[in-house]
Amino acid sequence: MAIEPGEVRAVIGPNGAGKSTLFNLITGVLPPTDGDIVFAGERITGLPVHRIIQKGVARTFQLTHLFPALTARENVRVAAQARHAGRWRPLAGSALFAATAQAADAALDLMRLSGVADVKAGVLSHGDQRLLEIAMAIAQRPRLLMLDEPTQGLSIEETDRAVHILRGMLSDGGLTVLLVEHDMEVVFRLADQITVLHRGKVIADGPPAAVKANAEVQSAYLGGLDQ
Amino acid sequence: MQRVVLAAVVVLLCALAPVVPPFTLTLITEALIFGLFAMSLDLMVGYTRLYSFGHAAAYGLGAYATALMLLHFDLPLPLGILAGVALAVVVAVPIAWICTKSTGVSFAMLTLAFAQLGYAMLFRFKDVTGGSDGIGGIPRPAGPFGLAVFQGKLGYFYLVTFCLVGSYLLCRVLVRSPFGAVLAGIRENDAKMRALGYNTRAYKMAVVVVAYGFGALAGALYTPFAGFVAPELFFWLVSGRVLIMVVVGGAGTLIGPIIGGAFFLMLEHELSEATDLWPLIFGAIFIAFVMLAPEGIWGLLTRHARTQPPRPDDDADREAPRAAS
Repeated sequence: MAIEPGEVRAVIGPNGAGKSTLFNLITGVLPPTDGDIVFAGERITGLPVHRIIQKGVARTFQLTHLFPALTARENVRVAAQARHAGRWRPLAGSALFAATAQAADAALDLMRLSGVADVKAGVLSHGDQRLLEIAMAIAQRPRLLMLDEPTQGLSIEETDRAVHILRGMLSDGGLTVLLVEHDMEVVFRLADQITVLHRGKVIADGPPAAVKANAEVQSAYLGGLDQ
Repeated sequence: MQRVVLAAVVVLLCALAPVVPPFTLTLITEALIFGLFAMSLDLMVGYTRLYSFGHAAAYGLGAYATALMLLHFDLPLPLGILAGVALAVVVAVPIAWICTKSTGVSFAMLTLAFAQLGYAMLFRFKDVTGGSDGIGGIPRPAGPFGLAVFQGKLGYFYLVTFCLVGSYLLCRVLVRSPFGAVLAGIRENDAKMRALGYNTRAYKMAVVVVAYGFGALAGALYTPFAGFVAPELFFWLVSGRVLIMVVVGGAGTLIGPIIGGAFFLMLEHELSEATDLWPLIFGAIFIAFVMLAPEGIWGLLTRHARTQPPRPDDDADREAPRAAS
């Protein structure tokens, strides 16, 4: 499968289809048994996680991964620091703090989290925690943003709010997004391309309308919901 | 406010030093050395959640390296100490490289293994290390520039105080720097830090080497202070004691472990004169702190300050460095 720059591609498929494995392969958490992973024309197969991330990949996790004892702003700021050009200059500490704090505030604002910037991440609501993790990813200015079930575990209202915020973020354009999501409504509202995985294989690929109409997908996945 | 109080304590100590009885001065000097030792471990335990059960290795390395430097090269005292620290830091690099291959309990066990390895090697290489006798008669050379001021009890006290205050300020800058922010992230969630693109292993190696460096400085200061070194400096009891000092003093505060280390040493001195059962009392104190005041002595001292609305400059020691807002 391939993702073009600027597109929002959702990966769907039943449990065990290999969606999270795909994420782990791209980010180097798991080594592929076969095949190659190419990012922006460069082969990244087998590189350690941090090297791949430094090439401009940012991801969120299916189960929220945060720094619970740090404030929301510091969570995002550390994320921004990871990719900031000045991070190795030991004597430029205050300049680096100022620049990354600014980037953090911008990302928090985008996720409508400015009001809780000084709250410790561990005591935020689950919905805010999911958004905070996305803010951390955005603050890294990724070329590829990978979201693993961003609305997992959210109530209907929280999901609606999250989708609304994500749509606002994506409407600015320029972001390439790979999205894994269980909630079909969320997928159809956000994605402009959909890949359907089933038992580790791509069984369909295309714009939402075409995938919806695909008979094989109906029987493998979507059908199970309707019939 | 805290800064003012701390500075006042240091000034008071320095002012009183010439008038206190010599024996008290000796005790205070040793307490400060142990405070420095505990503070160095706090970089790993309090700031990065890397539990070392073998920090005696840092202390022993610094002590033995300095002993050999002073004994064989007739360096001026401060230079001999610095050379000892440098040697210990070089040895710390491969130790850090191996230990950071693992995490959690295995990390703790590996650090312990290296300390015990050092202990065993002292007996193996008797010609250099003196085996179980250790090395005695270590001089405090004035060196070619006649720095005789450190040879006396009072001068040495000032040297130790200077090293402690300097190390504290350096560590404080370190934990409040972007590097310190990364350590806090590793403490909170190592996997997430890697997923954000940090090479966490490199950061952990760095903090282990730095902690060994300051721990070695404490050991290096101990050598001319005591005039001899013995294998016990490497022993796991030393590692255990310093870990307890960090926890009782208040992990993740730098100043807490200094107080914890000094407090413990004074207490041990007083109690061991009064009763043979002093380890029992130690144990009770440790349990009481873990159960009733896990934030440690420094946490108790500043509890009042922390219930007040936080001011931008006060009390930031416990937190990860924040951007000036």
